[in-house]
Amino acid sequence: MSVTEVGLPASSHIHPPPDTFIKKYVFSLDHKVIAVQYFITAGLFLVFAGLLAELMRVQLMGPNNHVLSVAVFNQAYSLHGTAMVWLVGIPIVTGAFGNLIMPVQIGARDVAFPWLNMLSFWMLPVAGILVFASLLFGAPQAGWTEYPPVSLQLPLGESLSLWCAGVFVIGVSSTITGLNFLVTIVKMRAPGMTYTRMPLFVWATGVTAFLSMIATANLSAALAGLFIQHNFGVPFYDVTRGGAPVLWQHVFWFYSHPAVYILILPAFGIVSEVIPTFVRRPIFGYKAIAYSSAAIGLLSFMVWAHHMFTSGLQHWEQLFFMIFTMIIAVPTGVKIFSWVTTLWRGKIRLDTPLLFVLGFLSVFTLGGITGVMLASVPADAQEHASYFVVAHIHYVLFGGTILGIFAGLYYWWPKMTGRMLDERLGKWHFWLTYIFFNLTFLPMHWVGLLGMPRRVATYDPAYAGTNFFVSISSFVLAAAILIFIYNAYRSVRHGELAGPNPWGARTLEWMIPSPMPYYNFRDIPIVLSGPYDYGKPLPYANISQDLAMTPVR
Amino acid sequence: MKPEQREPLLDSGFWRAVGVMAVISIVLMVGVVVFPIDKYFPEAATVSKPIDDLFKFCAFFGAPIFVFINGFLLYFAIRFRRRADEPIDAVGSEIHEHQGLELTWTVIPSLLMVVLAVLSYLVIPLYYPTNQAFASAVTLEAIGHKFYYEFRYPGLKQSVMNELHLPIGIPVTVDLTSAEDEQDVHNGAVIHSFWVPEFRLKQDMIPGIVIPIHFTPSELGTYRIVCSEFCGLGHSHMWGKVIVQSKAEFNAWYADQQRAAASPISAPLSLAGGNPSAGQTIFNAKCTVCHNAAPFAQRKVGPGLSQLFDDPDHPDLVTGKKATPDNVADIVEHGAHGDMGVMPNMQANGLSPKDVADLVAYLRTLR
Repeated sequence: MSVTEVGLPASSHIHPPPDTFIKKYVFSLDHKVIAVQYFITAGLFLVFAGLLAELMRVQLMGPNNHVLSVAVFNQAYSLHGTAMVWLVGIPIVTGAFGNLIMPVQIGARDVAFPWLNMLSFWMLPVAGILVFASLLFGAPQAGWTEYPPVSLQLPLGESLSLWCAGVFVIGVSSTITGLNFLVTIVKMRAPGMTYTRMPLFVWATGVTAFLSMIATANLSAALAGLFIQHNFGVPFYDVTRGGAPVLWQHVFWFYSHPAVYILILPAFGIVSEVIPTFVRRPIFGYKAIAYSSAAIGLLSFMVWAHHMFTSGLQHWEQLFFMIFTMIIAVPTGVKIFSWVTTLWRGKIRLDTPLLFVLGFLSVFTLGGITGVMLASVPADAQEHASYFVVAHIHYVLFGGTILGIFAGLYYWWPKMTGRMLDERLGKWHFWLTYIFFNLTFLPMHWVGLLGMPRRVATYDPAYAGTNFFVSISSFVLAAAILIFIYNAYRSVRHGELAGPNPWGARTLEWMIPSPMPYYNFRDIPIVLSGPYDYGKPLPYANISQDLAMTPVR
Repeated sequence: MKPEQREPLLDSGFWRAVGVMAVISIVLMVGVVVFPIDKYFPEAATVSKPIDDLFKFCAFFGAPIFVFINGFLLYFAIRFRRRADEPIDAVGSEIHEHQGLELTWTVIPSLLMVVLAVLSYLVIPLYYPTNQAFASAVTLEAIGHKFYYEFRYPGLKQSVMNELHLPIGIPVTVDLTSAEDEQDVHNGAVIHSFWVPEFRLKQDMIPGIVIPIHFTPSELGTYRIVCSEFCGLGHSHMWGKVIVQSKAEFNAWYADQQRAAASPISAPLSLAGGNPSAGQTIFNAKCTVCHNAAPFAQRKVGPGLSQLFDDPDHPDLVTGKKATPDNVADIVEHGAHGDMGVMPNMQANGLSPKDVADLVAYLRTLR
C-alpha cells in the first residue's frame, strides 16, 4: 500500500515513494529497507564469523592438533572476535533492530537524518570487506583486542592497517547511527509520547545511541594511534621510545566496555517488548527498567579498567574499578528481577519469541554471576585471560545478545516481511540452541579455572576430554542456525500471512499493516498513555482502530 | 476484568515452589562451603585459599540467585500458561509495581556487593606487596621472553630458564617484567603473563614496568607457569614450571647452581660421537614446538629444518653464516633472532653439550 493510494493531503510533507530498483532497494533512504540491508549483510558476516569459530573448535578437538597452522588459528580467533563484535553484534542490535522498530515505536515516519542512515549502512560492507580482506595478506593475529606491542610486530601485524581501517570505518558508522537515533528519539516522538510512555526498546535504543555517539570516538583515537605507529613509527605504544603499551588498553577499553553495553542494552529492550506481549500483562517495574538502562549507560564509562586488573594498575585504581563494576551489576539485576516478576500471574503463551527470552534470562543470569566473580580483583587473578573469561563473554554475548536477537527476529519477522515464521521449526531451533549453547560454553568455565589460557592453538592434554566435548557441542550449536535459515527462506516463499498484529501487542508498530507501508503512518498518532496496559483500551488516537489487538493465533 | 481477589496473591503452590527452590539452594550453598577445592586442585600458596574463598563467596550467593531465577522462570512458565479453555484475549494481573519488593532487590544485592568489595580489598595486599614491611626474605626477578621465562636469583651469576625453584614456606617477592633487549620492529618486547594456576596468581609481564607479586609456596610439587597473554606465534607453547621443594632439596639445587656458575666455561662443544636416534628423541620432544622436520617453507615459529645442510635456496643460516654443523651447533648453543621470533639458547631449552651433538647428528640425517 503506498501513500498515494490512501490519499494523503498534500500538506503532510510526504514525498512519493522511490520508483527505481536502485533507489528502492540499494541506496534506499527508508529506515525499514535499511534495517533489512543491515540484517542481510550482518547475517552473512555472522555465518562467516561462525565458521571461523568452528574452524577453531576443529583445531581444539585434541591437543597438539595440526589441522590449522598456529598463524591461521590466530587469524581465525582474531577475525571471529572482530567480526562478531563490530560487523555482526553492533550492526544488528542498533542498525537493524533500531532502524526497523524504533522510529515506528515513537510514531515517526523515518529517522531524523535518512541520508546519514544510508551512509551508516554502506559503511558496514566497506568495513567488512576491509577486515576480511586482511585474510588475503595475513590477517592480524593478536585477537579482537589487538594489544600492542605484539599486534604491531611482523609477521603478526602484516595487514594491521586493513584491520584498523575496517574497524575505524565501522566505528564512524556506529557514531553516526548513535547521533541519528538520539536526535530521532529526542525530537521526533509523536504527540503525547512522553519519555515515560516510550516503549522500553526505545529507552534501550536511546541509551545505546548515547553510548555509541560518545564512546566510539575513543576507539577511533586508539586505532589512529595504532595505525600511525604501524605505518609511520610514531611510538605511542612503544615503551623504549617514550610510549606505553598499557595506553592502548586504557583507551581501547574506555570504548570497548561501553561497547558491550551497546551490544546488550538493545537485547534488553527486545526482552522488555516480548515479555509483556506474550505474558499478556503490564511489564513489572517499567520505570525501574527504563532508569536502570540509563544508570547502566552512565556507569559503563567507569568500569573499563576491570579488563586490566592484571595489567599493573595502582591499588586505588583496582579498588575504584572493582567497586563500580560490582555496582553496575545491580541495575542489571533489577531488570532481571523485574522481568521474572512480570511472568507472575500472566496468561503466558509460550511462542518462540518468549522461549528465546526465557532462555536469555536463564543463561544471562549465570553470565551475570560470573561477571561479579570477575569483578573481584583477587578472584580475577585466576580467571583473567583464561577460558573462564571465554565462557563468561559467550554467556553474556551469545546467551544474551544472540538469543535476544533471535527473540526479536521471531517477534518482529511478521512486521518486517508480512509473513509468519514456522512455530514448530522455531521451537526446534530454540531447544537445540539452548541445550547445545550450554553444553558448548559451560565446560569452558572449568578448564579455564584449572589453568587453560585463551588464544592457544594447543593445550595441556589434561583438558582433552572437555575440549573434545565442547567442540562436538559447538558443531550442533552451529547446525541449529541452519534451521533458522531454512525457516526464514520457507517463510518468505510461502509463510502464513501475518496480518497487522499477530501477537496482539500494543506498541505502535503493531497498529499499522505488515509489512509496514512506506512512511509508516498515514496520520501521525496521538499517544494517550503507556504501551503495556493489557486489558485496557488502546492508548492511541488518530490511528485506524480496526487493526486487531487480540492475538490472532 | 480484574483478577479474582478471593484467593491470596501468593497461593500454596507458589510457596511449595519456593520451598523446593530453597532446598536446592541450601544444598548448593552447603556444597559450596564444604567443597574441598584443595583436594582436587592444589591451593599451593598461602594466598590461594583466601582467593578461593572469594570465589566461594560469589558462588555461595550466586547459587540461590541462579536457582531462584531459573526456578521462577520454569514455575511461572508452567503455572501461568494460558490454558486452552481460557479466552484468547485473556490478560494477566494488573500489578506492575511494588515499592517494597523493588527496594529489596536493589538494596540487598548492593549490600552484598559492598561486602564482596571489602573482602576482596582485604585480600589484595596478600599478593601485591604494598609497603616495605612486606620486603620478604627473597626477591627474585622473572623476565618474560619469547617464548620462555628467565628467573634471576640473588647470589647466582647465571639465570635459570623456565624452572622456578622455590623452597616451601619461605615468602618470596617476584619482580615481573618483560625482556626489553628484544626491541626492534620485528622482534620487539611483548606483554607476557606469569600465571601459576595452582597458586591462583596471575600478573602480566609488561615491558618497561616492573611489577612485584608476593606469595609463600605452601605445598610441595611441580606446577605449571602458563603465559595467558597472547605474545606471538609461540604463545601456545610458552610454559614454565614452578618446583616447590623442601628447604634441603632447594639448598642442594641452589648449591649446584652456584658450583656451575663458579666452574670455568667448559671446553667448546664437541660434535663428535653425536647419536642421531637420541637426537631425534630430543628433536621431537623440544624442537617440534617451533620447527618441523620438513622443508624450509613449512614453517611453524621457525623454518622447517629437513634440508638445513643442503638447501640451495637458503645456503646461509639465520646468523648469516654458512650452514655447517659447527655453525648450526652455535645457534643451538647461543640462540638466535629470526624474523619470526627468538630461538632460546641451550640453557633455556635445557640441553646438555651431548644433546647438542646428538641434535646436530640427527639434523644431518634429514633430507
